[in-house]
Amino acid sequence: MSPNNTRGWKSGVGLVIFAAAYVAQAPLADAADTKSAVPPGAVPCQACHGGHGEGRTAVNAPRIAGQTAHYIEKQLRDFASGTRENLVMGGIAKSLSDADRAKVAAYYASLSVPGVAGGARPSAALAARGHELAVQGAEARRVQACNNCHGPEGGGAGLSAPYLAGQMASYLASQLKSWQQGTRRNDAGNLMASVATRLDDTDIAAVTAYYAGLGAAAP
Amino acid sequence: MVQRLKEVDVVVIGVGMVGSILSKELAAAGYKVVGLERGQARFTVPEFQSPAIHDELRFDVRKALMQDNTREPVTFRNNSSQTALPVRRWESFLPGTGLGGSMVHWNGQTYRFQANDFELATRTRERYGKGFLDPDITIQDWGVTYEELEPHFDRFEYLLGTSGKAGNIKGQIMPGGDPHESPRAREYPTPPMKEHFQGALFRKAAISLGYHPFPQPSSNLSQPYTNPEGMKLNTCVFCGFCERYACEHYAKSTPQTVILPVLLANQNFELRTGCQVQRINLDSTRKRATGVNYIDAAGREFEQPAALVITSSFAINNVRMLLLSGIGKPYDPGTGKGVVGRNYAYQTMSTVASFFDQDVIINPFMASGASGTLINDFAGDNFDHAGLGFIGGAFIGAVNTNGRPIQYHPVPPGTPAWGKGWKDAVLKHYNHTVMFSLHGSSVSQRQNYLDLDPTYRDAWGQPLLRMTFDFPPNDLKMAAYVTAKAVEIGKAMGAKQVNGSPRKGPYTTQQYQTTHNTGGTVMGKDPSTSVVNRYLQCWDVPNVFVIGASNYPQNASWNPTGTLGALTYWAADALKNKYLKNPGQLVPT
Amino acid sequence: MKLPNTPNVTRRSFVASVGAATVLPPATALLADSAEAAPLAAHHGATAPTEPGQSVYLFFNVAEARFIEAACERLIPADESGAGALAAGVPNYLDKQLGGAWGAGERLYRSGPWLPGTPSQGYQLPFTPAELFHTALRAINQDLDKGGTAFGDLSAQAQDTYLKGLEAGGQDLDGVPSAVFFDMLLRMTIEGFFSDPVYGGNRAMVAWRMIGFPGAYADYYEAIDQHGVKFERAPMSIGEDRHGHVHVQPAIPATL
Repeated sequence: MSPNNTRGWKSGVGLVIFAAAYVAQAPLADAADTKSAVPPGAVPCQACHGGHGEGRTAVNAPRIAGQTAHYIEKQLRDFASGTRENLVMGGIAKSLSDADRAKVAAYYASLSVPGVAGGARPSAALAARGHELAVQGAEARRVQACNNCHGPEGGGAGLSAPYLAGQMASYLASQLKSWQQGTRRNDAGNLMASVATRLDDTDIAAVTAYYAGLGAAAP
Repeated sequence: MVQRLKEVDVVVIGVGMVGSILSKELAAAGYKVVGLERGQARFTVPEFQSPAIHDELRFDVRKALMQDNTREPVTFRNNSSQTALPVRRWESFLPGTGLGGSMVHWNGQTYRFQANDFELATRTRERYGKGFLDPDITIQDWGVTYEELEPHFDRFEYLLGTSGKAGNIKGQIMPGGDPHESPRAREYPTPPMKEHFQGALFRKAAISLGYHPFPQPSSNLSQPYTNPEGMKLNTCVFCGFCERYACEHYAKSTPQTVILPVLLANQNFELRTGCQVQRINLDSTRKRATGVNYIDAAGREFEQPAALVITSSFAINNVRMLLLSGIGKPYDPGTGKGVVGRNYAYQTMSTVASFFDQDVIINPFMASGASGTLINDFAGDNFDHAGLGFIGGAFIGAVNTNGRPIQYHPVPPGTPAWGKGWKDAVLKHYNHTVMFSLHGSSVSQRQNYLDLDPTYRDAWGQPLLRMTFDFPPNDLKMAAYVTAKAVEIGKAMGAKQVNGSPRKGPYTTQQYQTTHNTGGTVMGKDPSTSVVNRYLQCWDVPNVFVIGASNYPQNASWNPTGTLGALTYWAADALKNKYLKNPGQLVPT
Repeated sequence: MKLPNTPNVTRRSFVASVGAATVLPPATALLADSAEAAPLAAHHGATAPTEPGQSVYLFFNVAEARFIEAACERLIPADESGAGALAAGVPNYLDKQLGGAWGAGERLYRSGPWLPGTPSQGYQLPFTPAELFHTALRAINQDLDKGGTAFGDLSAQAQDTYLKGLEAGGQDLDGVPSAVFFDMLLRMTIEGFFSDPVYGGNRAMVAWRMIGFPGAYADYYEAIDQHGVKFERAPMSIGEDRHGHVHVQPAIPATL
């Protein structure tokens, strides 16, 4: 897809940021990406989500490498329909055909998730609270363990829930806020809204730091 | 050395759902309540979390949430000519233990008995005549009507948040619900659960035969819900680890998710766990209870005096408590006299297996405990029994709850029990089979009863409960009839092969057939055939109330829990507004 | 490591127990045609592990292990659809359960008197599962020794015939009715095949893969709407970490 293709793009700040980011970062293809050919739809993705799908905190674009194709496709559908509200992603998702979405999703699912540092180390108390919420939950909050659905050590559970381990803490926090505020409504059965609305800001800081601190899942 | 404690207003034996509701109602009304639970405290977090809870070997096969046979089994015999022997491992029925009781690990199937059931003796006689019943059958009226219980059914369902579709609102038949149900005041608190593939196949077939399928009422919820106590429940995700397991998602209605935190926050209530009540104490007149004796987890014995004693343990344990305490006259099947232990009944379960081709993918592991679709066309007295030679019936449904492979691997009759032939059949049929459950009623008969065993004892040295039970011929006839009807539904689904397994005698403790044990402390209007009056108050000892499925004079075509919830709120009402304001016998004898 | 200290240990089984690679029990030859034969060929049922990940037997002695391995493999054989009990680690499962709390009588009412009872009354023997297995296996191996051939050395057909004989009952295995032993062996074999691999059986979730059971992580809220569509996700174990390695932990109690 040519960088000058403005089909389906929303105007506004998002586009400006996107365009700037895109110009600054040329699409990469290196030895790590030989698992599948980079489909045309993936080229703009790399501008925000990184050359290896590792994500960029500056634009709150999450790590998507190694996420399941099923999950990525669903998010693209939901961005397009608006049940997951996002100025930039909404436009991008609408511009992709179903076939494009499938290709892009398959490509990112095929990437191995590179190991990275987990970011700033949380305090001991915060780390303990995050671990507790992740593996056990909190009765006082009526919140179950995140790993029940998000898999062992938050590594994802196939067709049900995405990985959290090694995801950016700021991104995870933004999503929990979105569930709380209702700007993200694509959780079937209100499963995430039920959880998010019972967490306070300390809980969110704790659990997101915990998962970010797990680094990425090695193959 | 028994330590005598300070007297309280109420002592509650067994803090399951019944004990939790009653304790909450009475504590909120200002009474000092002590709840004695023999098991341990446990909560959704941390005890019920997955993946550890999704362990079929531990919870299904080894029954980790159940009463420990090592310490307290029951003894069993089919009839009085045999010697009762200990049930050394549970299979047929699985008494639970622990805070929250059996409704921690129940399936969430939430039904109301029908109006006919509460006056079964009278209505059967009216419809079919006096000589219709086998003379050994001892069915009775309950002493309370469905209409009296309706507001209490409603309250219980709204406490739980039960997901369903009403079939009869104030006499108006509602499409999509059960047209046979007795009238309810309003819709269920949450909409019906999603239908799984098995349920959808069943529904189409049932409609094609002119029956009336409806979604199973489920207390594993279809959407987030806040109940009148302020408790929040979540959406069930159909994990397929429901019965025998505890729910990690706050999606199953259990005492922990619907009421316990409210109860535990009330300063008038004190919970004591690990406390095995030994008996209810009586004064010298034997007509007044003075409290209970119990032994704690460290083996220390206490006397807890109380003005009012409520036994709200699991059904058969209520019966045992009265027998150990010498309350009420024990039933003697030889003479027909006595009431405690009389009219023990169970459930008459049959199945139908429908085997499909490889291209029909069932995914049995995707289910809640109360998923699926069923019909009541052959339940209760919803069909004309003239000429059939039995009363009662069964609900028939594609209500399979799981695909857990140690215990669920259906194979057609004639499959070898092991070897390559077995393995081939398991692989061939696992994901291509629909199992129907036929949930049949259970009449009481004079030969079936509960009493104390003369030989075997529990870990505290007390006699075990002895169960004498076999299927009444009435119920086996019923099972054969409904199974034949269900096989027709299987064929109408287009299955390649359909096999019915109607219940046959003798009753065995070695195959699971529900934990729906009823009777033994029957409620009624006549003290010569009941243990408690219509308010669940002991005839003989007015400051003892007994609440449980032990009050049922016989068992109906549906799971007992919904009706027990109604009786609980009915009794709570009687306690708060009648008894406690003016203690004494509420029903003149 | 349990040393062969029973009088019935033959020189052959003793040699096998110290891992002599040249001595392969004929039972493994039964697997020669199956896809699973290669990884198993070196497994003697000996107490010394012969390949990485193999467990040491802590409950079964050598003669018992040889019977169990061969018998389990007849109950659930390897074939064209996949692994049998042996490759799935069922003998290992049995070993750990019988050697642990369950074998010692967890959850079993153990007081007497003990009377025979009717089929409706179920198990009425004083034996714990561990005692029952040791007693029955000793009697079985003694019986077979009289014929001169250990169970593991019989042909598959002869093994099946022998097992059917046990199943039919009528044999007293030093106080254990053979049908009771057979029933417990079959039940525990099925358990070892289909239980979560955290218990040491169902290795690599091979049995779950065969039937398509997804295991311990089970959120189907969206998938349940896809009537008739196969659920394509690898099974997941209680004991797995996020790299997919299952950490075996057989000593999980039968209480909460």
